[in-house]
Amino acid sequence: MMKDKMTPVERSKALARGERVDRLPCNPNIANGVARIYGCKISEFNRSARTIADAQIAAYRRFGYDGVRIFTDLFPWAEAMGAKINFPIDNTADLAAPAVDDISQINSLKSADPYKDGRLPIHIEAMKYLIDELGQDVSCAGGVVGPFTNAFFLLGIEKMSKLLFTNPDVVHRACEVSLETCIRYAQAIIDVGLTPTISEPMSSSTVVNPKHFREFGAPYLQKLVQYINSKGKPVTMHICGKTEKIWEDVVAMGVAGFSVDNVVNLQKCKEQIGDRVKILGHVDPSSVMYAGTPALVREAVIKCVQQAWDAPKGYVIMSGCSLPVETPFRNIEAMMDTAREIGYPIDPETLDKM
Amino acid sequence: MSDLKQKLLIQLSDSVVNMEEILTVELAQTYIENSFDPYEAINKGLANGMDRAGKLYEEEEYYIPELLMCSDAMYAGLDVLRPHLKQAELGDKHTVVIGVVEGDTHDIGKNLVKIMLETLGFEVVDLGRDVPPADFVEKAKEIKAEIIALSTLMTTTMEGMAEVMHLIERDKLQDKIKVMIGGGPISKSFADKIGAYYATDASKAAKLAQDLVCGRAQR
Repeated sequence: MMKDKMTPVERSKALARGERVDRLPCNPNIANGVARIYGCKISEFNRSARTIADAQIAAYRRFGYDGVRIFTDLFPWAEAMGAKINFPIDNTADLAAPAVDDISQINSLKSADPYKDGRLPIHIEAMKYLIDELGQDVSCAGGVVGPFTNAFFLLGIEKMSKLLFTNPDVVHRACEVSLETCIRYAQAIIDVGLTPTISEPMSSSTVVNPKHFREFGAPYLQKLVQYINSKGKPVTMHICGKTEKIWEDVVAMGVAGFSVDNVVNLQKCKEQIGDRVKILGHVDPSSVMYAGTPALVREAVIKCVQQAWDAPKGYVIMSGCSLPVETPFRNIEAMMDTAREIGYPIDPETLDKM
Repeated sequence: MSDLKQKLLIQLSDSVVNMEEILTVELAQTYIENSFDPYEAINKGLANGMDRAGKLYEEEEYYIPELLMCSDAMYAGLDVLRPHLKQAELGDKHTVVIGVVEGDTHDIGKNLVKIMLETLGFEVVDLGRDVPPADFVEKAKEIKAEIIALSTLMTTTMEGMAEVMHLIERDKLQDKIKVMIGGGPISKSFADKIGAYYATDASKAAKLAQDLVCGRAQR
């Protein structure tokens, strides 16, 4: 693997000042795959803040990518509010049962305390270790799911899908109480010195109608983004799947960066919203990163850079979504090495010949 | 065809598309009260509506919640019509074992295929989601199913699909049990590679199953 000449923090500061850097920022978005690099079971993350942080640190030290994050699965917030979660020994957690069985219990839902409820305190503690050990070198983030997505886990995914039509008030109530949890957690992230990032998979236009997103998703997400911004922090948002129809809504919320899935047209995304937000994406996490070869990865990274390198607000090479746990290390290396090979400043002609 | 029957079939289809569960039930009841053929109401009414909903989904007019509402309306209509179906109208009994392969808990696609299969008269045994490969084969052997239908949204389950094929070969069941696969990451080339049949969407999956039991499907 090639060596970097700058740390991610040096690179990002130089980029912000418009100075020369060694390469574009690149973040493969390894997620729970860090367990494979560090050598632990994924379920150890459910109990040990030290293990979460150490696995993140080990993966960063191995690959040198531009961003580490404490975020193990989509469910710690719903869990802290009463949802039941399946914890496989060595795979990512999954929702077992929503927080309420019956919508008549909606008013019993309480927002979570990040220092007390569920696994949230473990995550906050892991953030402290992470920023202590890596804060000088690389941007450290705390991940949180958005209020709309969390509401699905409180009410049940299928049930809430129908409530969008049959009982909007209950959906709004679940989103409101989720927002409160998200804001408290975001504040906790900021208090330990990290930057929040928001994942909002259920807002995807692969899942819900943009009309429903605007009615139930966007208003609460916007409040979360505004809260984080009011504390002086920028925020990056990721929405899986198709998003083109809601790009303008996302930009209007005031996010600093938007991370897009591989099903999106990256060039079009840059052209439409790249003047207002940083674009991150979108190497295919499954067919390229998980199932592909280093040569395929290289090709995909070059193609992304060709499409988005000149985004006015900046571009970060990233996977379209969190990588599958068993993604081969050589493909992650190939992603980083291609970023290094491309270098900086970008010369589109050289890029075309690569 | 009588004008009333024709009108009711169109209304049944529309009420599924429009996600109107109560109206679908009322229309199905009116249809039965007039002694019209329930199989047609399923096929040309409810399934037709679900088909149109699926097209609206492809066109990004409808999304997952809309499809769930449509399928609820469809199931409600089915509940009214099904008791009036004569077994003969289903033709020979054909059984399908369906499920989502281990490692994936997304089951909307699987549920849609199940609905489509049921409306075509298949007996469907649903193993649910996150199902180990061996369970599909065991169940199919036990109930003498002719088809195993595997659905997934996640690439990580593709090895599980190949495993089902291995088990079928090991037990020399290739002639008795056909395997069809589908879902987000699945392609025809992957299906060909592991020796399974492939369908791009739920209604095509149901038609493929029909062709398979009639012995006229090509891979």
